[in-house]
Amino acid sequence: MRKKIIECSRVSKEFTTDRGTVNVLQNIDLDVYENELLVLFGPGQCGKSTFINCMAGLDIATSGHVTVNGHKVEKPGPDRGVVYQRTALFPWLTVMGNVEYGPKCRGMGKKERREKAQYYIDLVGLTGFENAYPSKLSGGMQQRVGIARAYCNEPTVMFLDEPFGHLDAQTRYLMQEELIRIWEKEKRTIVFVTNNIEEAIYLADRIVLMTNCPSTLKAEYQIDLSRPRDYTTPEFLQLREEISAVVDKSI
Amino acid sequence: MKTRFRGASKYETAICAAISIFVFLCLWELAVRTTAVGLFISSPITVIGKTLRSIVEPLGTHTIQGHVLWSLSRVAVGFVVGSVAGVVVGVLMGWYRIFEAIVRPLFEVIRPIPPIAWIPLAILWFGLGESSKYFLIFLAVFSNVTMNAYSGARAVDQTLVGAAKMLGANNRQVFTSIVLPSCVPQIFAGLQIGLGSGWATVVAAEMVRSSEGVGWVITKGQDLNNPLQILVGIVGIGVIGYILAVLMRAIEAKLCVWSERGK
Repeated sequence: MRKKIIECSRVSKEFTTDRGTVNVLQNIDLDVYENELLVLFGPGQCGKSTFINCMAGLDIATSGHVTVNGHKVEKPGPDRGVVYQRTALFPWLTVMGNVEYGPKCRGMGKKERREKAQYYIDLVGLTGFENAYPSKLSGGMQQRVGIARAYCNEPTVMFLDEPFGHLDAQTRYLMQEELIRIWEKEKRTIVFVTNNIEEAIYLADRIVLMTNCPSTLKAEYQIDLSRPRDYTTPEFLQLREEISAVVDKSI
Repeated sequence: MKTRFRGASKYETAICAAISIFVFLCLWELAVRTTAVGLFISSPITVIGKTLRSIVEPLGTHTIQGHVLWSLSRVAVGFVVGSVAGVVVGVLMGWYRIFEAIVRPLFEVIRPIPPIAWIPLAILWFGLGESSKYFLIFLAVFSNVTMNAYSGARAVDQTLVGAAKMLGANNRQVFTSIVLPSCVPQIFAGLQIGLGSGWATVVAAEMVRSSEGVGWVITKGQDLNNPLQILVGIVGIGVIGYILAVLMRAIEAKLCVWSERGK
């Protein structure tokens, strides 16, 4: 029996604005297992980010609850790492400064945290850029820093919220490959959000399909293709077709 | 044209600056020599000559650089105290809602009052000595720095705050490592304006009452019916103001390498 790391039970989220109450998430139940790479896949604006924020603790569910490793999620905390779509790197800190930020906040000594940060900077392939500022890096490199920063805090789970959404197609393929390489070297439980079907099948151990707002979970696919995966094999294309057919197309 | 100028080297920019100043001086000289303007104002050659001469021949009790140093020392005191207080009040006001609710109404009433309007009160409160001048410069610097630090702290990117919290930062760490550095570019804009405003205020304060400083040079010129001395004072104010602005920009470029303003 695999160990459950994240347990969501009947998670709902409403936002109240001037124009009334919007129901974004409705009674979502989801378990994520240790070292699993779970992809949350759904149409744009369907509440994927809201769901990930509720799991991370950046937002609190209106009803229902989320536990990570048995602890109820109530506020942000370092046992959960987040990689953001728009990187959210600290622009006044160098690559090293960004990656060592988490351990530094938690009071780790300089020598120790530098070594640790260097390890993850090397892991994501940014050796030699330790002293560069984020604004001097390309989009793909910035996202590598984001991944290293999340990893360096050694969280139990990592949430990646459409991290490659802003990259050009070539860089995006490369980063998908890189993410799998990094993850296979340093296994973590990952929840990855995307609205790109190819990306979902390329990365996932399991894909969870979300519906349009108010979101519920519509279907689940266990992806057993061996890695490294190829976007053009018949199995891959067949999965792609099968899942595409089920996705909500309405806007 | 715009892109071309953006790409201009430091060297080209310096040459353009030199040309524009030189052309201005030539037009001035020409006007003095050929028109009635000469009755009201000395030629630039005379003014520059007199300014250079006043480096060795004292105006009143001090040489021109002596007067400049006097004024600068007054600005320095008011500027340091005003900017420290401004950064503290501005950032706290921008970040803590309660502090904003209490302090902002007061600040908004005081802010639009020009520093020179305080001169009579400053003299009543602090006398004719240095303290009243420090007070006036403090006011000029404080309101500008506070305003900018405040808008900087209000504009802090909430995603970055969230990211810091997710990485384990507590509230104090969020304040010192996210809010403060985010505000640095705006704080610098405030310091830049504050310094200019402080420099303008010292001249006004010295014109009211003092026995040295560039403001004194100007008022004394008026008393002696000596327009040349007035112009020497004005040239001094312009040159020093320009040098201060350049220095501030250089410091800013060093501290804000990461931001747009630092470029």
